[in-house]
Amino acid sequence: MNKDPFAIRLESKGVVRLSGRLDASQADMAKAFLEPFSEPLVLDFTDLDYISSAGLSVLMITLKRLESSGHTLRLRNVRDRIQNVLRYAGLDAVFTIE
Amino acid sequence: MEHSFARRIDSLDDIFEFLTRAGDSMGVPTAVWFSVNLVVEELFTNMVRHDREGSQDISLRINREGDCVKLSLTDFDVDDFDITRVPEVNTAAPLEERRPGGLGLHLVRRMTDDLSYHYENRKRTVTASLKLHE
Repeated sequence: MNKDPFAIRLESKGVVRLSGRLDASQADMAKAFLEPFSEPLVLDFTDLDYISSAGLSVLMITLKRLESSGHTLRLRNVRDRIQNVLRYAGLDAVFTIE
Repeated sequence: MEHSFARRIDSLDDIFEFLTRAGDSMGVPTAVWFSVNLVVEELFTNMVRHDREGSQDISLRINREGDCVKLSLTDFDVDDFDITRVPEVNTAAPLEERRPGGLGLHLVRRMTDDLSYHYENRKRTVTASLKLHE
């Protein structure tokens, strides 16, 4: 498995790119990064190798917060294994996946 | 292979490194190893968070048995908490009713072919098996 460290950055307006492993030790950092956004948001998962329930929680919290203020959260370029995790968690139908 | 890890969340980097070495030596397909990583993370973080007063390291043992990967995590000097009896989360509920908690153990159940729990002398052991199919 890829062992790249987790990173999250603003790629362009409204597009945030995540890479590496979003595990329980990185979830707080991801949550803190996403908290200031109050606009429609796309999370680009092109380089995201791994996600656990801690990462899913960050996604759910962010989605609820944005939807409550009338905005959308979409996931882009989700790899099959991560899509499986979303499906197992029953979140594949909750998120808009491009 | 067996190793002990400090009971804190930032031990995960060391755990993943250990699992990578174990996976290479056992010749386990990457897709299965993704699931092994996730199951170990969820079980480990559950132990860390459930017994915050615990002071001893958590032991992780992993080996290949035929067409299965078998792993066990042991937490020492802790209270009884049978994860196999934790109620299922309703993954079909609408977003507004969903709570983040409980998803980890739900994923463990979905990704393992066998999951068991043993508690004796204040020692808690969770054992899981994953088949080596893609």
